[in-house]
Amino acid sequence: MNLALLPVALAGLSVPFLGLLGTPQQGAVANAAVSFGVFVLTLVAFWGPGAGLLHADELGLVFGAATGFAGFTTAVANIFYVRGAAARLGGRRWRLYHAMCQIITGATLAGLYADNIGLLWASMEAATIAATLAVSLPRTASALEAAWKYFILGGVGIALALFGTMLVYLAAQPALGPGLAAMSFAQLAGAAPRMDGTLLTLAFVFLLFGYGTKAALAPLHGWLPDAYAEGPAPLTTSLSGLTLNVALLAILRFSHLLGANHASHGGAMAPGPFLILLGLVSIFLTGFSLSRRRDSRRFFGFSSIEHSGVAVFAFGIGGPVAIFGGLLHLLLHTLIKSALFQALIRAAALRGSTAPGHYAFSHLRGLVHTNKVTALALGGCIFALTGLPPSGLFASEFIIVSQTIQREPLASLPLGLGLLICAVAILRNLGPLMFSPAPHHTRPVKTARSTYLVLVHLGLAFGLAFAMPPVLYGLLSAVAAGLS
Amino acid sequence: MSLTFSLAHLMGGVILLAAFSLLSQRRLAAMITLYQVQALVLSAAAFWQGYAQGEANLYLTGLITLIIKALILPLSLREIVLRFNLMRAVETAMPVAVSMVLGVALIGVAVLVVLPTTPGNISLTREDLAIALSVVLLGLLMMTTRRGALAQIIGFLSTENGLVLAAIGMPGMPFVAEFSVALLVLLAFLVVGVFLFRIREHFDSLDLSGLEQIERRGR
Repeated sequence: MNLALLPVALAGLSVPFLGLLGTPQQGAVANAAVSFGVFVLTLVAFWGPGAGLLHADELGLVFGAATGFAGFTTAVANIFYVRGAAARLGGRRWRLYHAMCQIITGATLAGLYADNIGLLWASMEAATIAATLAVSLPRTASALEAAWKYFILGGVGIALALFGTMLVYLAAQPALGPGLAAMSFAQLAGAAPRMDGTLLTLAFVFLLFGYGTKAALAPLHGWLPDAYAEGPAPLTTSLSGLTLNVALLAILRFSHLLGANHASHGGAMAPGPFLILLGLVSIFLTGFSLSRRRDSRRFFGFSSIEHSGVAVFAFGIGGPVAIFGGLLHLLLHTLIKSALFQALIRAAALRGSTAPGHYAFSHLRGLVHTNKVTALALGGCIFALTGLPPSGLFASEFIIVSQTIQREPLASLPLGLGLLICAVAILRNLGPLMFSPAPHHTRPVKTARSTYLVLVHLGLAFGLAFAMPPVLYGLLSAVAAGLS
Repeated sequence: MSLTFSLAHLMGGVILLAAFSLLSQRRLAAMITLYQVQALVLSAAAFWQGYAQGEANLYLTGLITLIIKALILPLSLREIVLRFNLMRAVETAMPVAVSMVLGVALIGVAVLVVLPTTPGNISLTREDLAIALSVVLLGLLMMTTRRGALAQIIGFLSTENGLVLAAIGMPGMPFVAEFSVALLVLLAFLVVGVFLFRIREHFDSLDLSGLEQIERRGR
C-alpha cells in the first residue's frame, strides 16, 4: 500500500477547509491539528514507501519526517502568533494564509517523495506559487515588491528546470526509450551509464540553474532575503525554508546521474567543479553580506544561503562520507533554522509587534532583560548557526571539511575561510542582541509556553549530531553510499 | 515523413520569428498581438505533432494552448492595457538595436549548444529543440531588457511558449498536457498579480481594503 501518499493527501485535502472556513484562531488550531496528522503520517510512511509516481526512497522519507516535524512545531508556534496578530489582516486573508501553510507542506512532501522528475518539478512549482502568495499577503508596497521579485526569479528558475527536465528525458531515450520509465529516478539511476552523456551535461546546467534558483544559491539568491523579510513571519521563514531542501536534494540526485555517467565514460562532465564553485560563491557572498544587514530576518535569510552553499559544496566534493555530511548538514539546518525563526517571532512579540519591519537588531537588542527563556532559546539557536561546538552543525561541518582536505585539498582553504567569516559575522550580532541595554519603555514579560518547543528543536539537533540513533545512521549512510 | 519535418520546422520558425520581433517591439498592444500569433502557431504545431506522433495527449495540449493562451490571456492583457491606459511605449533598459544583436547571439548559442550535443538520434527533435531553446533564451532576454511589469510578463509568456514547443517535440513524453496546465496556472497568477498591482497604483492606496470600502459605499 502506498502510505507515502497519505501525508501529501491529508495536507492537500485540508486546503479547501482551511481556505474557506473559520476565524483566524480556529484556523490556526485546525492548521496545527492537520500538521500534527501530517507529521504522524510522515512517520507512518516508513512502513509503506509506495510505488509508481510517488515512490519515496529513504532519502525522501528521512527528510519528509524532518519536514513534518518542523511543520508541526511551526504550526503550534503559529497559534500564538495568530493570537497576537489577528487584527492585522482580514479574516479572508488569514484563511488564505492557513491554506498556503498546508499547500507548501504538501508540495514539499510531494517533492521529497516523488520518484518522477516531472512530479518533482510540478511540486516545486506549486510550492513557489503558494510561497509567493504568502509573501504578498501583508499587501504593503515592500511585500508586493518582494513577491514580484520572487515570482519573476522563481518563474525563470522553474522555466529553466522544466527545460532541464525535458533534456534529461531526451538524454535517457537511448537507454530507456519513450514513456514513463525515462522520467523515474530509480530507473534513471540504474541506466545512467547508458544515457547520452553530452545531452545529460546540458540538462544538468539547466537543472542546476533552475533548482539552484529555488535553493537560493548565489548568484541566483536575490529573492530570498526580501521574501524572508517581508512576508508573514511563520509561513515565509519556517515553512518555505523547507522547500530549499527539495531543491537541494533534486540537485544532488541529478548530479548523481551525471557523476555515474561520467564514471563509466558515458561522455558527461563531472558535476563536482560546478557544485564546489557555486557553493563557495554562496558562502563568501553570505560572509560579506551578513555584516551589513540590520534586519534580523534578512540576516538569517542570508545565513540560509550560506548553508545551502555548504550542502552543495559537500555534494560537489562527492564520496559517501562527504554526501553523508551534506545530508546531515541539511537536516540539522532545517531543525535549527525553523527553531530560530520561531524564537525570533517570540522575541519580536515580546517587544510589541510581529509585523514585518519590527525585526531590526536594534529593536530586539538586550533580550535578556525582557525574558530570559526566550533570550536563551534565541541565543542558543543563533550560536548553533555558527557551527561552533557544541552546535550540531559542528559535526556536519567537521565531516565536510575533513573530507575536503582528503579529496580536494585546494578547496579546503577557501571553505574554511568562508565558514570562519560567516561565523564571525553571526557572533558579532549575538552579544548586543542578548546583553546590551534594552531599548527604553520595555519591561520584563512572562515566558510563553511555545518557547519551550524551540528548546526541543535544539536538543533534537544536538542529539542527531552527537548521538545519532543507529537506525537513522544506517539509513543515511546507505543513502549517501547509493548517491556517491 | 518529409512533410512532417518541413511543416514542424516552418511552425517552429514562425514562433522564433515572433519571439524575435517581440524583442524589437516597444508598444504593449503590438507585443500582445505578436504573442497571440505565437500562441496560435504553437497550438497548430501541437496539433500537427499530435497527428504525426499519433498522441491524443498532444491534441489536448494544443486545445489548451488555443483556448487559454491564444484567446483568454491576450484578451485579458488587452483589457489591462485599456483599463489602465498603458498605450505608450515601454521603457527599455538598453537600446533596441543592442538587445537585437544580443538576441541573434543567443540564437547562435542555442544552435551551437544543441546541434552538436544531439548527434544523429532524432533529427525532428534536434532542430525543434534548438528553436525552442532560442525562444526560451529570447524570452529571458526580453524580461531583463524591459522595465514594465506587463512587458516582463509577455517575455515570460514567450519563454513559456518555447518550453511547450520543446515539450511537444519530445518523442512520446508523458505529462506534456499536465506541464502546460501547470505553467498556465503560474501565468494566470502572474496576470492576476499585475492586475491587482495596477489597481493598487490606480487608487493610490497601500491596502486593498480601501477598495472594499469603496465597493461598500457604492452599494
